[in-house]
Amino acid sequence: MTGRDLDPALRELRDTCRQIARDLRSRALAVDADPDDVSRHLDAPSLTLLRTASTPKRFRQEDLPLRFAEYTDSCLARALANVELARGDAGILSANTGPSLAGLAVDALGDEAQRELFYRALADGRTWTFFAMTEPDRGSDATALTSRFEPDPGGGHRLTGTKRYVANAARGSIGVVFARTGPTALSIRAALVQCPVPGFSGHALDMIGLRGARFGEMRFDGVRVPEEMLLGRHLPTSQRGIWGAGRAFNVMRVQIAAQALGLAFAISDYVLEHRPRSPGAELISARLAAARELLYDVAVAVDRAPGDPRPPSIVKLHTTALAVELTRWAERALGAGSLLEHPLLEKWCRDVCAFEFMDGTGNILRLHIAPDTAPVREER
Amino acid sequence: MRESISECERIAHAQGLAAGLGVALAGVDADAAPGLIAALPTTRVAPGASVIPHRMAQLEGISFVRPLAKAACSGEERTALAGRLGGVRLGMVRSLVERAVGHLSGRVVGGEPTIRKQLVLGTVADLVTETEAIRRLLTVAGTVSTAVADAHERLTVLGWEAAKLFGASGYLVDGPVRGVYVSRLVANCWVVTEAGGS
Repeated sequence: MTGRDLDPALRELRDTCRQIARDLRSRALAVDADPDDVSRHLDAPSLTLLRTASTPKRFRQEDLPLRFAEYTDSCLARALANVELARGDAGILSANTGPSLAGLAVDALGDEAQRELFYRALADGRTWTFFAMTEPDRGSDATALTSRFEPDPGGGHRLTGTKRYVANAARGSIGVVFARTGPTALSIRAALVQCPVPGFSGHALDMIGLRGARFGEMRFDGVRVPEEMLLGRHLPTSQRGIWGAGRAFNVMRVQIAAQALGLAFAISDYVLEHRPRSPGAELISARLAAARELLYDVAVAVDRAPGDPRPPSIVKLHTTALAVELTRWAERALGAGSLLEHPLLEKWCRDVCAFEFMDGTGNILRLHIAPDTAPVREER
Repeated sequence: MRESISECERIAHAQGLAAGLGVALAGVDADAAPGLIAALPTTRVAPGASVIPHRMAQLEGISFVRPLAKAACSGEERTALAGRLGGVRLGMVRSLVERAVGHLSGRVVGGEPTIRKQLVLGTVADLVTETEAIRRLLTVAGTVSTAVADAHERLTVLGWEAAKLFGASGYLVDGPVRGVYVSRLVANCWVVTEAGGS
């Protein structure tokens, strides 16, 4: 199989991530079995390194190995790293502390003081973050959210509403919450919120897979949001809220696609380790290599034009479907009883489904993809 | 054969996975499983049996056990059982699709019920079509092992496509998708695949 030639720095990053992936794999089943007991994994060198690498350079508490220098420099480097890390296990990646999607939103919408506040709060390595967008009855339709920021007579705003399927909903200490200040799409704004805070309650939901993420529900009942915590105040009106966060979504979609693809590779590796001459293996390898090429192409495109939602949507739609398909191939290849005989495989069958709804379901992605390719009606 | 598959579908649709599996396994013991693990209704697990813990299966009233011995089981018997299990899974998926339609009818996107969206309607139409096609495959080729294995693989796809209609709520353990997921694990224990064999 021929693929792109990676430069030496990216090759080193890939090789380091492959080493880290072995440690992630060794912790995978424990986190799935007891996701509330993840704290004992947080000091592992692998998770510490990943936490540091995902933090902007000036907020890092410790230096990174040279070969990791590329990690935060580009979408391509992150995508490459996420494939290799998820090839160890994607579940434990979602259990780690660190900036995650909230960090991308703060990077996109936050001013200097807000970034300082956010990243300083993460310095202890024990702080989870949340990105609260989805609501119970609104699904992926972000523009229809009903949570609201209302003026507080004492200054600032009061946040009221319910968010659901939010990672780290109950244990997150700082994060980004989206709500509206008025009826239009432009009135959807985001704020930094620190928890616990009066008026807030959160609880974890019992999810089928990616259990380390502790998806849950957050309720805000008149939570005070000081004016200085509202993100995007320094930006033009059109870039302050949901549209400004669009770039963060695009970057995140590529990383979720990378994790889905990494999981697909993990499944393939696992099957071939246990049944080296599995029927269809050559085709599977080819399709995985092609998906990785697509991922890299999209990551490069996002590095060049981060505002275009179409390429990230294409790659997330494809790699998620491919990973789900790989679970069926594995089941076929390993035969009767294989999913119970191989708990990792069974866990991955559950984990892989989460990528479908994270950061846009398949149908939402299709709506991003289709308009540009719809046939243009000829004028008479 | 046709009647027993229909009966399994009807029971699973009305009463759930454990009840459907109980009917499908009538006269079949754990030691007839083609692999090292058998799936049984929990009520049929013998005292002292070696049970593999599985949280979601437990909630469905299903247990996975390691049989102590192997019993002789002909290919015809295995295929017939796999056919009945296909009926069980059809009943489970049909129930899931019905609940998905109810779920989406109560949600509104852009001022319109989600169920009226073209992408969603297309998916539901495909699910209904595939359900009918798989049912006929089991009916006319329930004695052909490759056809029955194909039906099960397509049922796995069908279950996933239906689950997606629930969005993230389909990913809750205490939700309707759980039974369909566990039914996949049950089939994995009893159905011989062409590539993997036993």
